[in-house]
Amino acid sequence: MATIVDITEEQALKVKNFEFTYAGSDEPNIKKLTMPIAKHSITALIGPSGCGKTTLLRSFNRMHDLYPANRYSGEIIFKDRNILTKNEDLIKLRTQIGMIFQKPTAFPMSIFDNVAYGLRLQGVKNKTELQDRVEKALQDAAIWQEAKDRLKHDANGLSGGQQQRLCIARAIAVEPEVLLFDEPTSALDPISTAGIEELIVGLKERVSIIIVTHNMQQAARVSDYTGFMYLGELVELSPTEELFVTPKERLTEEYITGKFG
Amino acid sequence: MTYTQKRVIANSIVMALSTLSALIGIGFLLWILSILIINGVDALSMTIFLEEGAPPGNESGGLKHALIGQLMLVGYASAFGVPLGIMAGTYLSEYGLKSKLSETIRDISDIMMSAPSIVIGAFVYAIVVAPSGQFSGWAGSIALMIIMLPIILRTTDDMLQLVPSTLREAAFALGTPKYKVITQVVYRGAKAGILTGVMLGVARVAGETAPLLFTSFNDNFLNTDMSQPMASLTVTMYNYATSPYEDWQKLGWAAAFILSMFILTLNILGRLFLLKRKGK
Repeated sequence: MATIVDITEEQALKVKNFEFTYAGSDEPNIKKLTMPIAKHSITALIGPSGCGKTTLLRSFNRMHDLYPANRYSGEIIFKDRNILTKNEDLIKLRTQIGMIFQKPTAFPMSIFDNVAYGLRLQGVKNKTELQDRVEKALQDAAIWQEAKDRLKHDANGLSGGQQQRLCIARAIAVEPEVLLFDEPTSALDPISTAGIEELIVGLKERVSIIIVTHNMQQAARVSDYTGFMYLGELVELSPTEELFVTPKERLTEEYITGKFG
Repeated sequence: MTYTQKRVIANSIVMALSTLSALIGIGFLLWILSILIINGVDALSMTIFLEEGAPPGNESGGLKHALIGQLMLVGYASAFGVPLGIMAGTYLSEYGLKSKLSETIRDISDIMMSAPSIVIGAFVYAIVVAPSGQFSGWAGSIALMIIMLPIILRTTDDMLQLVPSTLREAAFALGTPKYKVITQVVYRGAKAGILTGVMLGVARVAGETAPLLFTSFNDNFLNTDMSQPMASLTVTMYNYATSPYEDWQKLGWAAAFILSMFILTLNILGRLFLLKRKGK
């Protein structure tokens, strides 16, 4: 049986009996998973490849709906409603639950337009307001110093680490409540990685964060809670220190000590 | 002989052969171009741009009618063919992707791309010219549009598919509606490629003769009425070059030269644009 810590503080998301099957597959990728996500804290999802952690992460903003014939059941409760229902407004949901991808995904436009993109979508037209909010987002994402003199330049001229921070700026500019990070540093060098990690920790005051990572040290460094997933199930969810120092499940211990993975 | 030596020798043989092949190819191209330039420049004069066709023998004829006809034929073909091709390509890549319908459309356009253009001319003759009872500029433009369509459709489709899916996902993840994901993010990512497809499509039809013989036919005088037979550089070139009159033959060279330069410029512009985008 899984060990899932009781989260006494407020919860940003609640996963209940969630099951997910990819198109063309008979075997569910996630099996009857139940998991609380604490508000204003960082939850890391770890586990071997194929354990379903990215699949779970992409369920929170219904990314799977972009591709036909994926099947899912159960509930994900966000702001007192089940976001898995058919009449969920996905456009609105995705402005409330933002996402950062593994590879930086700067749009082929200027740095300024990248960050302003989400704001313009939400109807912000006022030039001064746009400028203020873009500047604030870039500052919060710790890239203002590098970007301020070339806001009009193509965003693809930035380095990988800078582009990833730009993507974070773009995501936080629209002030989401939850941010999903899908292995955000696996394409980056160690220095950029350290910068992004620092940034993630700094953001939890304002947003609830879920981060999928292959890097256990990274989970240990940044997160408050860590969930270990294996074969589509949540084996253990504990406060990060407990999970890494005194894991309750044998499987967790074997994974974090490198016996498999 | 050591293995390394063998490799070095094999390498130099292959390199010599491929260099030679490249030189032969370029050689023919330069040969064609030089003959065109020698004969074409010689035939060029201001009268060519200012005068319409004239009976042979009085040296006063020009190509104004053919130039304007050509621009109108290609212009109308592009005005309808380019948006249609881009929209169809967008459907294939962004909406249909792997569906049976889009795979069928892809197969059919691949076949259409290699269909002899004279067949398309005959087709338009049968559905437009014969029922309306006369050759017309519209029929010519329709034929050119049909030839242009699969080229633009397939390059748009290919270029859009080259845009990484993570870029689309990132746009969706910000709460972007699908049509804005396509028009504001995906199109930008594929802009250079799509533009190249458009230029290649336009350049391809600008040099077509056979389908025009069946459709817009020809006119030795200036006509800007698309419902009437219309002159084009290619058909004019064919008529003049095969005529027994020396001044008409000269005009044929001039038409060949102008047409080649037009297509060459279009190609070079397309490529320059690609380079500029990449360099940025």
